[in-house]
Amino acid sequence: MSSSKASRIGEEIWKTRIDKVNAELVTLTYGTIVAQLCQDYDSDYQEVNKQLDKMGYNIGMRLIEDFLAKSGVGRCANFRETADMIAKVGFKIFLNVAPTVTNWTSDNNQFSLIFDDNPLADFVELPDDGRAQDELWFSNILCGVLRGALEMVQMQIEAHFVSDVLRGDDTTEMRVSLVRYIEDEMPPEEE
Amino acid sequence: MAGPRIACIGVIGKTDNPLHISLFPPYTDATIEFSFLLNSCLDIFEIRRKQTSIDQDLGLLHAIDERLAAYGWLTTTGVKLLIIVDLFGQEAMSAGKPAGPAVSGMRDSDLKPAFRALQSAYIQLLQNPFYSPDDHAPTPGATAGAASACQPVSNPKFIADVQRIGESWAPGTAL
Repeated sequence: MSSSKASRIGEEIWKTRIDKVNAELVTLTYGTIVAQLCQDYDSDYQEVNKQLDKMGYNIGMRLIEDFLAKSGVGRCANFRETADMIAKVGFKIFLNVAPTVTNWTSDNNQFSLIFDDNPLADFVELPDDGRAQDELWFSNILCGVLRGALEMVQMQIEAHFVSDVLRGDDTTEMRVSLVRYIEDEMPPEEE
Repeated sequence: MAGPRIACIGVIGKTDNPLHISLFPPYTDATIEFSFLLNSCLDIFEIRRKQTSIDQDLGLLHAIDERLAAYGWLTTTGVKLLIIVDLFGQEAMSAGKPAGPAVSGMRDSDLKPAFRALQSAYIQLLQNPFYSPDDHAPTPGATAGAASACQPVSNPKFIADVQRIGESWAPGTAL
């Protein structure tokens, strides 16, 4: 399946099958969660990143079910197709953004998602304490979401941000790498 | 450029705690004078609030002298936006004594865009999850002395926005 076809599917589902919710509600809710985590962990941003990832993982595990039901797409043939599906359908229908898939490694196991627009980070300015700019990945929940969602469809991945406009970088980029395909493990008593 | 310019912008919190004050040339050094002017305007806010409860735009609060005039805007949450306008602007400054009268076609509604822009800057500031309004408000029951010790806003983007509004405003311009 080509990237443009994935875009069309994403657009179509976004228009017809998605309940919309006010953007400020999402942005402010997420912002509050991150700010509260920073406060709770005494600005230990490594720990905040970890917690966000964990929260995302729990969301992803559930969200994939909803994603498959709404999109009705089948199994992806390869990791490249998976990447397009994540960027053009997944992000499109849940956040109405379509990050660019780029920077593939030659073995097709690693790619980058470049976010032109990140609704989670609207209005946000990182705390001016000299550390947040270097340590906090504000949108780290997204990494967890991908990890959780893909694990449910037999893909173990690793995802992390490498740059963020909030930190003053030019782009917001997430690096996703495939670790392995998880083999289906049949329960022993079933034939 | 002739014509009225903004001399000072003040953002004052609900409990009359100053959140931010920006001064513009040629008044950048007159901190004390303008703090005093802003302070005196707060009483007018108090009086006006009782009289009218319809519009946020309070219009002209106080014509201080032939040059300076204070305009106010009161949000429903009690945040006060104040703009002190220099009716002669920069040109009068370089020409020495002003020649004509100060009523150079400035209407109350001319400041509306500036107030609106200021309000959206303030909203933007509030939307930032890492900005905590409580840090900038005196704790309830604190004395007047403690109230003056509460922190002004230090957010660089907000300050830059206020700066931009103050520098670019002129009657009839959009911001």
